[in-house]
Amino acid sequence: MRVWYFSEMAYHPAWDEGLKRGSLRVVLPNSEVDPHVAHKLLNRYFDEFAACDEAGIDIMVNEHHSTATCMTVSVPMALSIIARETKTSRLLSLGNPIANRPDPVRVAEEMAWLDVLSGGRLEMGLVKGAPYEIHPANTNPARLMRRYWEAHDLIIKAMSTTTGPFNWEGEYFQYRNVNIWPRPLQQPTPPVWMTGLSVESGIMAAEKGHVIGTLLSGSVAGPMFDAYRKRAKELGRTAGPDRFAYAACVGVGATRAEGLRRADLIADYVRTAPVVAEPFTNPPGYNSVNANVGMLKGGGKGFVRDRNGNPVEHRTATVQQFMDADTVFAGTPDDVYDQIKSLNDRVGGFGHLLFFGQGGHLDHKDTLENIRLFGKEVMPRLRELNPEPTARRTAAE
Amino acid sequence: MAGMMTVAGVDLEVEERGVGRPLLFLHAGEGLGVERPWLDRLAARFRVIAPSHPGFGRSALPDWIGTTDDLAYLYLDLVAKLGLKDAVLVGASFGGWIAAEMAVRNTAAFSKVVLAAPLGIKVGPRDVRDIADMHSMTREAYLDLAWADPSKGHLDLTGYSDADLQALVRGREALTLYGWKPYMHNPRLKPWLHRIDKPTLLLWGNRDRIVTPAYGEAWVREIPGARIEVIPQCGHYPAWEQPDAFAAKIAAFAA
Repeated sequence: MRVWYFSEMAYHPAWDEGLKRGSLRVVLPNSEVDPHVAHKLLNRYFDEFAACDEAGIDIMVNEHHSTATCMTVSVPMALSIIARETKTSRLLSLGNPIANRPDPVRVAEEMAWLDVLSGGRLEMGLVKGAPYEIHPANTNPARLMRRYWEAHDLIIKAMSTTTGPFNWEGEYFQYRNVNIWPRPLQQPTPPVWMTGLSVESGIMAAEKGHVIGTLLSGSVAGPMFDAYRKRAKELGRTAGPDRFAYAACVGVGATRAEGLRRADLIADYVRTAPVVAEPFTNPPGYNSVNANVGMLKGGGKGFVRDRNGNPVEHRTATVQQFMDADTVFAGTPDDVYDQIKSLNDRVGGFGHLLFFGQGGHLDHKDTLENIRLFGKEVMPRLRELNPEPTARRTAAE
Repeated sequence: MAGMMTVAGVDLEVEERGVGRPLLFLHAGEGLGVERPWLDRLAARFRVIAPSHPGFGRSALPDWIGTTDDLAYLYLDLVAKLGLKDAVLVGASFGGWIAAEMAVRNTAAFSKVVLAAPLGIKVGPRDVRDIADMHSMTREAYLDLAWADPSKGHLDLTGYSDADLQALVRGREALTLYGWKPYMHNPRLKPWLHRIDKPTLLLWGNRDRIVTPAYGEAWVREIPGARIEVIPQCGHYPAWEQPDAFAAKIAAFAA
């Protein structure tokens, strides 16, 4: 198993105000940001990413917009800095919200450039993005996935074409001269990732052979991974654990109490980040007709689910409740390994753990110790669990 | 009675009621609402032809349809297919936008145009909304802006079948497809409104805060000879909130 540390680079000093106003996202005015505090936090967060390189842990970055939950506005900007500050960690962009991007060729250029800069350490997530990203980007939520797939196909083609300019006259994107320089170091493209929460997402990713990642609920991951394996089998392929990624908050400590304390602070992120003003949670078209019918009938609320698939009250859940939902792995290195192994066995094996190790309230010292202890005591054992295949698959295979 | 018609390859649900002079009614973003009183009020005076827009009701939404331009050409084809002459073109809110898109292209089948609180044009400065952002507010806030009496706009979903709920969801998605960006307007429409060469009436609710009567005055300035009538105790949906006054004003104007 590979482990990818990530942090959303939260601006937690504004969380209380966001909670008071009922939204940490989209409408919380940026008067709640003190740019001097943000300056210190951003630089601190990059120091934490750099520590992963020494600890033998890979690195993931994502992006969100108009929010106190995440100050990363641009994955390529953040990864560029990290690429220069690290030597061996692989770098996962998870990712570019390509249905919200007006210029997919620019995405291809930036990703190829990063791959070259980092010496071929890039993994490239092409993601749909969360529903509350629609308003800040002002992209049309209707037919979002149609736009996603056109952007996806164009990015892959732009990155893997080496025979000179091609043209693209699509439904959403038009170019007369696509010919990106430099081209990616990993040929034909860096490994491609998607994200999702549904069985449908699992099936779509299987058809492309991409890595699929999900988060925070073991009961969501299981059916999605199953659907992927089933579809891959129908297509005559084998989908090993390296096709599956799972994100959880991880707190590890020398004692169980210390691990739980760290996890509890990181889990504050899950307690706050979903707090969004109602109109931005489900723009028409973002979810399927059937999913929306289910919501109108009173179901479908909350994406953190316990092992029986029932919603977990994310605002108030305890660490133990989050652990019961596989949202949090916490305790001593042995505890954390056992919990990861338990989920791994229940979902048929996953090859990537997305290690959410900084949730805002965890301070710098604790964050570094969490990373170092994980790297020293948990990481080596996870490497033996679902060892990585020797040949990495890429999008064009 | 509702029937299915195929126009330009698109399967459309078309409600037809009454006899007499044809009146093409283009519904608002909330849907046609066949059970609501406005169609019967109009059908007492006219032969009402009321399609559900592609994606609404039982009307199909093919992949290639996605803009109000498409809807304008589709309904001009519908008008031609039905052979309508001397017809009254009526559009409400989002339907008013479609009606205006039709009328700048071809008014040959129509003798009168009625636009009830139409969306569709940009009037004010670039950093001031002309059209309330209905998709950035709660349902309660929206009803408060859209209705003189918000309780009348409440949708009670109890008793809705799965098919009814699917239609509601599909309609909301379709409105988004047509109107998300630019928000509920076409920047290319206003410069062509001078082409509307048939008598045009703007109908407006005095309590409409989705698009205010002042926005209606801008339409009056752009369409030669147009005039506006304001309906009291009425919000953004005159057909829904004041169906008697709505039908009476259209009948008087069309006479």
